[in-house]
Amino acid sequence: MSRGEGVFRKIGENYGVLILVLVFTVIGSNILQPGILSLQNVSSMITFGVEIGLIALGETLVILGGGGGIDLSVGSMYAVSQVVVGLLAQRNVNILLAVAAGLATGVAMGFVNGLLVTRVKIPAIITTLATMYAFSGVALLLTDGIDVSAFPASYSFIGQGLIGGLPAQFVLLYIPAALLLWIVLSKTVYGQQLYLTGTNQLAAVLSGINVKQVRMWTYVITGFLTAVAGVVDSSRLVTARPDAGATANLAAITIAVLGGTSIFGGKGSVWGTAIATLVITLVSYSFSLANINSVIETGTIGGVLIVVILFQGYLARWFARGGRVSVKA
Amino acid sequence: MKPLAVATQSIGNQPIDQSLQTGKRSVRYETILLVIVALVVVIIAIGSHGNFWSSSNLTSLLVDAAITAVPAIGMTMVIVMGGIDVSIGSVVGLTATVAGLAFEQNWPIALVVLLTLATGAIAGLINAWFIASRKLPPIIVTLGTMSIWRAVVYALLGGNWISTIPMTLTAWFVLDKLWIIPWSFVLTVVLVLIAAYMLRRRPMGRHVYAIGSNEEAASVLGLPTKRVKYMAYVSLGALTAIAALMTLGQSPLVQATTGSGFELDVIAAVVIGGTSILGGRGTVIGSLLGAILTQLISDGVILFQIQPFWNGVVTGAMIIIAVIMSLLNQRGAAHE
Repeated sequence: MSRGEGVFRKIGENYGVLILVLVFTVIGSNILQPGILSLQNVSSMITFGVEIGLIALGETLVILGGGGGIDLSVGSMYAVSQVVVGLLAQRNVNILLAVAAGLATGVAMGFVNGLLVTRVKIPAIITTLATMYAFSGVALLLTDGIDVSAFPASYSFIGQGLIGGLPAQFVLLYIPAALLLWIVLSKTVYGQQLYLTGTNQLAAVLSGINVKQVRMWTYVITGFLTAVAGVVDSSRLVTARPDAGATANLAAITIAVLGGTSIFGGKGSVWGTAIATLVITLVSYSFSLANINSVIETGTIGGVLIVVILFQGYLARWFARGGRVSVKA
Repeated sequence: MKPLAVATQSIGNQPIDQSLQTGKRSVRYETILLVIVALVVVIIAIGSHGNFWSSSNLTSLLVDAAITAVPAIGMTMVIVMGGIDVSIGSVVGLTATVAGLAFEQNWPIALVVLLTLATGAIAGLINAWFIASRKLPPIIVTLGTMSIWRAVVYALLGGNWISTIPMTLTAWFVLDKLWIIPWSFVLTVVLVLIAAYMLRRRPMGRHVYAIGSNEEAASVLGLPTKRVKYMAYVSLGALTAIAALMTLGQSPLVQATTGSGFELDVIAAVVIGGTSILGGRGTVIGSLLGAILTQLISDGVILFQIQPFWNGVVTGAMIIIAVIMSLLNQRGAAHE
């Protein structure tokens, strides 16, 4: 086999579905909104994509850790952390301190999720379903359900500023986060432990890995990244919304799965998730340009999730055979 | 060959050891639950200065409990088998919309009821196909169908409301009573009793517990695991449609958000009712008590004039507490 074929197979196995979907999305969005890929549109698309992209990076880690790992509470954590920043800013707390408190709140919420899942051993679905409602209630209680908008002018830089013509949150937050996580997953001991934990929990335990702690970190990191996304959102809109992120869990899970993360754990990558973020952002953006209601957009994302997970198995096998149609054996 | 056949039979027809234990444990848990329900009733009755016993409050409480408890029957089976369905809030929206559109066309009420039930069953069938036949994770599938049905509701309604719901539904489910109990609650109790009998005594019901305890073993023993799963998700869909009709009886209006968040009420009722999220254990009578308890608490929130935002926090916390209690109970049993 030539080297080229090997590369084709490797990319195909890992990103086959994703690349196909990306091509279809680019064609589809161009039909829906001709000229959508203009420079200015791409720039605003990146702006929109950063928030869900950060959350999806966390979701990828949680699902990658296996053992039924999933985080349905991301949208609520996103709301709580931005509300904390907003309320503190309203009380004239230094904005850097307020942001730090918001991020700490995210970490704390992730810690609660991780504790309940790994130590108390409540399945992640139930834990995060319960905390999704609980955290969302907290966000509403803190604010009486009213948007908070009392940020200093400088705060809007994170969400609205430009660095070298690119959105500040993309350059300062998303790229470093993605690079850092890529290094963590591919170059560190923790990364190897996480993949092994997701692939085969028993083998991981037998080789002396503290599986609980490895999984615990995925929830804490998700809490943190979600809080960062919350800060970006409140900065972009200069408003902290207690009802923000209601459908973020669906989008984040769809992005992770579309990016090649196996829902059973052990498979997934930062690059896959990054490309999938592009796809979902493209869908969302072209829908909003075409004035299609967000309920329909969410429904479409749900459809993408089911179709992708349905065909992931088929396509992975097809690419594993080198793209040939098999003779039934 | 012979031992296999015997083993299958013992799971199919007679309660095996594990199930006997389940029965004993759940009776205890249900008794505790009943005591808690009684305590909460006393607290709310005293705290609300008698407003609790007003006929209108009791009626709305019992109808709310019925609306939660009916789908909880199906949800109990689904969770006992280690599954979950978060799409039922959107299925309430979908079936209510279909009913509303049919009422707008002046369809006879019997036909509308049939159509609504069929819609719910089809929604359940679609979930079942992905979960049982394609073996996809229930949470992913139902998270997807949840958003899809919501989008369909939006597309069908086009941002409008439907308010041409006949009074007959309100009469059936809310106004007409057996003594002081609305017929919707009576219907719920009957459905729960039928389901309890099926789950305890009939082969199909025993299969549900066998699959929940150890799906692989159940499958090796030749139990029709796929068929049982289809049965559970399809009945959940149809029962959700009944809940949608009751909802229309209580507030005769269909809008794009009808039913959203409803799935948490039902899952909370089932989990608080003692169904183990690890599968294999749970009873529909427990779920009925769980439904009554969760509705009592939201009723108390209203009577005590507490911020309604507390509802999500309290329900979420109650789920976690109930699960911890059931896990401790299960671990305790394992040590015995």
